[in-house]
Amino acid sequence: MTAVEFINLLISALLLAGLYAAVAVGMTIIYGVMKIVNLAHAGFMMLGAYFNYELFEWLHLDPMAGALLSLPVFFVFGMGVHWLLVRWLPKSDQPTLSSLLLMFGFWLVLQNVGYLIWGNSDRAILTAHRRTLPLGPITIPTAGLVVFIAAVTCLAVLQFILHKSWFGRSVTALIQNPYAAQIVGVDHQKTSQLTFGLGTAFAGFAGALMAMLFSFNPDFGRPFLVRAFVIIVLGGLESVTGVAFGALILALIETFGILFIPAGYQPAISFGLLVVVLLVFPTGIAGLLKRKWRLA
Amino acid sequence: MPEVPEKLLLVENLEVRYGATQVLWGISFSVVKHAVTCIIGSNGAGKTTTLNAIAGVLPVKGGSIRLDGKPITALPSRERVKRHIALVPEGRQLWAGMSVEDNLLMGCYLPALRSRAHLNLSRVYDLFPRLKERRRQLAGTLSGGEQQMCAIGRGLMSEPQLLMLDEPSLGLAPILVEEIFGLIRDIARQGMTILLVGQNIHYTLQVSTYGYVMEVGKIALGGPSEMLLNHEHVRRAYLGIA
Repeated sequence: MTAVEFINLLISALLLAGLYAAVAVGMTIIYGVMKIVNLAHAGFMMLGAYFNYELFEWLHLDPMAGALLSLPVFFVFGMGVHWLLVRWLPKSDQPTLSSLLLMFGFWLVLQNVGYLIWGNSDRAILTAHRRTLPLGPITIPTAGLVVFIAAVTCLAVLQFILHKSWFGRSVTALIQNPYAAQIVGVDHQKTSQLTFGLGTAFAGFAGALMAMLFSFNPDFGRPFLVRAFVIIVLGGLESVTGVAFGALILALIETFGILFIPAGYQPAISFGLLVVVLLVFPTGIAGLLKRKWRLA
Repeated sequence: MPEVPEKLLLVENLEVRYGATQVLWGISFSVVKHAVTCIIGSNGAGKTTTLNAIAGVLPVKGGSIRLDGKPITALPSRERVKRHIALVPEGRQLWAGMSVEDNLLMGCYLPALRSRAHLNLSRVYDLFPRLKERRRQLAGTLSGGEQQMCAIGRGLMSEPQLLMLDEPSLGLAPILVEEIFGLIRDIARQGMTILLVGQNIHYTLQVSTYGYVMEVGKIALGGPSEMLLNHEHVRRAYLGIA
């Protein structure tokens, strides 16, 4: 492998990592605050993709604007879903079967509504963004770069919100110690609803971004669910930084893995990684690091 | 006629159960304004449960809790923080991955308190200069004594009229135990109403004015701390003096 090939692969891994982080972060904060494994995340991503598609088809809106618009729309949608369904789940410190089934069932509903509306043929958003940015021998896909920048910017904004706002501190407090959060008066229900809205906003946003890169159908999002699990296991639930870190590792392994195994086996990489990580260090890499500053 | 001390908190026939296990069997006691009241007793007597019930973290099965004469038994914990009841829980319960300053700020989480967050923060820093030095550090990296200060600081951030301290000296080195009790004395001297729970019975009774002895979910004994310190039962069962 030449140096140029290596750099090109490195760049595509980096671009991929940004996208993966945007996918996983919504699941992470929802799991952290509510201990719900949100399987419907894939459904929200699918809706995000079609949302962007419809805006593009009917209003000829730039897909980048559509993706940004998906944030507030899906935030409200997520709050609605929480109000309608999620808040009735029993509270627990552990993921419960009922929450798993509810979110899985809701995903199936979303998927089938998708089939009803859009059928099962693949759609894509075709724009002028599909060029590459040549930098001598190194090429960067423009669409990929734009998506990467959008994803990373949103992650940075989220990081800022979590660290500098009262809402963000209450989210962190609930993730790290729900009992202590209750003692100082954090309203679990209200913070949960906002968090669910935020997580859904990120799912819709990630889906809308991906619609600029990939074709999609109502089953869209499924392969990214496993990847999100791997990223969460690798990076832990503590921070956006952890998610970015997990996303980077997965993207690097997936991208460079293609050199060694046939492309058709690529999805096996994330599955394999999940198994290996759970067997070798079940607390994740973040868990290993965390032991250093765990409270006595 | 001697002045009757004003009672801030009145607990009557309080009952709490965890599932099928009853932990509190109708306990009654009161906390006097601007004084330190303590509850002593051995492990599993129900002291922590009592504080959690007053903080509204645990559901109550029977009895009543009154603050300044008004019943708060049915209020959620958030409403009790609003009425300025603060709990410094057993084992500190800090957010290990948050900075010391963010831990303290969370004590002012309620919207009504937020405008005064920075004022309260500087007050807490005046009381605990060491926390100010370490304000950017993660709370999980603090020593045990500093963590306890941080937990007390968080409690003070919510401008309590009743400060409940659960085993503040647990797991600390003897020199730090002395320091923490010195701090509690300082806070009490400023007129704070404190409900103190402790296994360190000698110190706990010395720092308090009134005390209750709790045994298997009941109040066995109550009175001025000085009296308890010299009470035969307390001396034999808790202080190891025959």
